[in-house]
Amino acid sequence: MICPRCGSVLHQRKPRSLSRTWALVIAAFIFYIPANVLPITKVTSLGHAQSDTIMSGVIYFLQTGMWPIALVIFIASIFVPLAKLLILTFLLISVQRKWQWRPKDRTRLYRITEAIGRWSMTDIFVVTILVALVKLGALATIDAGPGAIYFAAVVVTTIFAAMSFDPRLIWDSMETNHE
Amino acid sequence: MNEQDSGSGNHSSTPEAIVKTKKGFSFSIVWLVPLVAVLIGGWLVYKAVSEKGPTITITFDTAEGLEAGKTKIKYKDVEVGQVESITLGKGLSHVIVTAEMTKGAEPYLTESTRFWVVRARVAAGGVSGLGTIFSGAYIGIEPGKPGKRTLSFKGLEIPPVITTGLPGAHFMLKAEKLGSLDIGSPVYYRQIKVGQVVAYELEEDDKAVDIKIFIDAPHHEAVRRNTRFWNASGLDVSVDAGGIKVNTESFVALLVGGIAFDTPANLEPGGPAPENQTFRLYESREQSLEAAYVEKRPWLLHFEGSVRGLTVGAPVDFRGIEIGRVTDINLEFDWKKRAFHIPVLIELEPEKIDWVGKKTMDRREGMDFLVEKGLRAQLKQGSLITGQLYVALDMYPDATPAKIVWGEPYAELPTIPTPLEEITRNVSKIIDKFEKIPLEQIGNDLRDTMAHLNKVTEDLQKLVQNLDASVVPAANATLEQTQKTLIKVDRLLNAESPTGHELKRALGELADAARNISILADYLERHPDSLVFGKEKGNEK
Repeated sequence: MICPRCGSVLHQRKPRSLSRTWALVIAAFIFYIPANVLPITKVTSLGHAQSDTIMSGVIYFLQTGMWPIALVIFIASIFVPLAKLLILTFLLISVQRKWQWRPKDRTRLYRITEAIGRWSMTDIFVVTILVALVKLGALATIDAGPGAIYFAAVVVTTIFAAMSFDPRLIWDSMETNHE
Repeated sequence: MNEQDSGSGNHSSTPEAIVKTKKGFSFSIVWLVPLVAVLIGGWLVYKAVSEKGPTITITFDTAEGLEAGKTKIKYKDVEVGQVESITLGKGLSHVIVTAEMTKGAEPYLTESTRFWVVRARVAAGGVSGLGTIFSGAYIGIEPGKPGKRTLSFKGLEIPPVITTGLPGAHFMLKAEKLGSLDIGSPVYYRQIKVGQVVAYELEEDDKAVDIKIFIDAPHHEAVRRNTRFWNASGLDVSVDAGGIKVNTESFVALLVGGIAFDTPANLEPGGPAPENQTFRLYESREQSLEAAYVEKRPWLLHFEGSVRGLTVGAPVDFRGIEIGRVTDINLEFDWKKRAFHIPVLIELEPEKIDWVGKKTMDRREGMDFLVEKGLRAQLKQGSLITGQLYVALDMYPDATPAKIVWGEPYAELPTIPTPLEEITRNVSKIIDKFEKIPLEQIGNDLRDTMAHLNKVTEDLQKLVQNLDASVVPAANATLEQTQKTLIKVDRLLNAESPTGHELKRALGELADAARNISILADYLERHPDSLVFGKEKGNEK
């Protein structure tokens, strides 16, 4: 459809919503592996270099008794991205299979996903701030590890994936069933 | 599609949107994203797999300072591996460190590869590994020489001195004991540090210590086949007529020990020593120089007296010049003679004697001749305080004739007893003679004599008592009388007394008379006739 006023193309639904979301979700899944395996920070303190992945950071904070911080990092950096990806996958499958199971709840799930997605970026922000702040030469230096890039990629792709998903598709299957 | 229908109904003035449907298969550009992700992921996997080096295990006594996942393996401060895990070995006696090496490390992982933990160490030779105080310990590696590949190693507890790839040469030294040497102890050549001790270990039979040293290029060329090595540890203090000499290679050698080497000037320098040649490590410079005399002649000496104070290594001298040393002392019982002997083995160095003139006799003849002339060995006291003995060779023309016993394996040189021995022998002879004297009889006689003497004394005593009783009072009376007489005489003779005065005058008159007589005599002599004719008138005075 083309807009009679401005002539731009109109879509009833987000175009190729499913395939786009699928592509981004798969990409996010792939990025999720190196994001967690590779070190996200490299702390050089008094000549002692230490590389930390997200999980080892969480464990470190847990061991040093700072469990609130560990909890925040765990939720923001591990739980949320993974939950988002799993929810999106679940929604995609449910739409493709034209499930009619509790569409209202599924829509709510999508809204939540969209809302919390950006908060995963906190980890990246923390790393970038630390890298910029801690440049004490021989005393202490923090560098971003390769994991940070992949983690950022996971967050960005999931945000795009959530954006490209059209929640109306959840209801479409209900309608066709009624008709 | 209720919504759409109602929407178009509300805005009827707007033209109807045209429906276009794309036909056929169309490839969404969004699929590039997962494709890129797959590519990146694939590349990462490939990189991880391709960069994965060999996994090795190293056993250490302790994992002090090592951390799984953090401790690096470094060669020349370049990271070549990382510790993956640390586990306790069987029997809990050691730890097993599993480490992943970088790719391409395989050729260096042979049986001769060595690993050790670099920690901050304070040793006598210096402080090392200070950097590890902050960075934590790491594992050092010395790449092995080409050889059998292996993936399990035994870590060294002490860091070795890395010499791989350095120009120079290794040599082996054999020493009786290690002394104060340690890995890293310096090796000096003309007091310049030219190398160091690389390793040491006990020989298999535990009889000596093998010390491996490394001499840096180009000084390794100074090591000749006949070079002497000696332990330069500590101070060499020598006191002689020239004063006190203190010799040391360097202050460091003084503290931590060291090795020095030189080629004796009195020897023809041999060819350059091949790598890994074994040398003997002498205990001191003097010893190493003495060893320069190559020709050594063993001689056997038999002593009958005590050799207390004679030690292996004691000097053998000829008129005060050292020409050899004692190499062995034994105790022997001769069943044939039923007597003890003390065979002493000595080593003479004929090269210490300058042989002047043309040689006219061979060695055997020469020695026989010398012994015939009285060459004898004797034990002499070197120091009165310590009682140290030495073997002195000298000519004793008056000695009882003896001959060299040319036996096997050693020829025996005749000996004469020590001066002390001689004295002892003479003294015992005297004592023997003493013993032959009939002392008892003499004693008895003496006792009789004494008895007699006693009697005589008693008689004498009686006599004296008699004298006391009878003679003394008489004598006393006589003496008193005499004294009185003397007093009287004294009084008589006194100038103040009348008698004295009379006497004086009488004497004066007597003198006048004498003078007159003398004149008379004189006159008479000249005028004898006057006696008859009387005095002439004109002739009177």
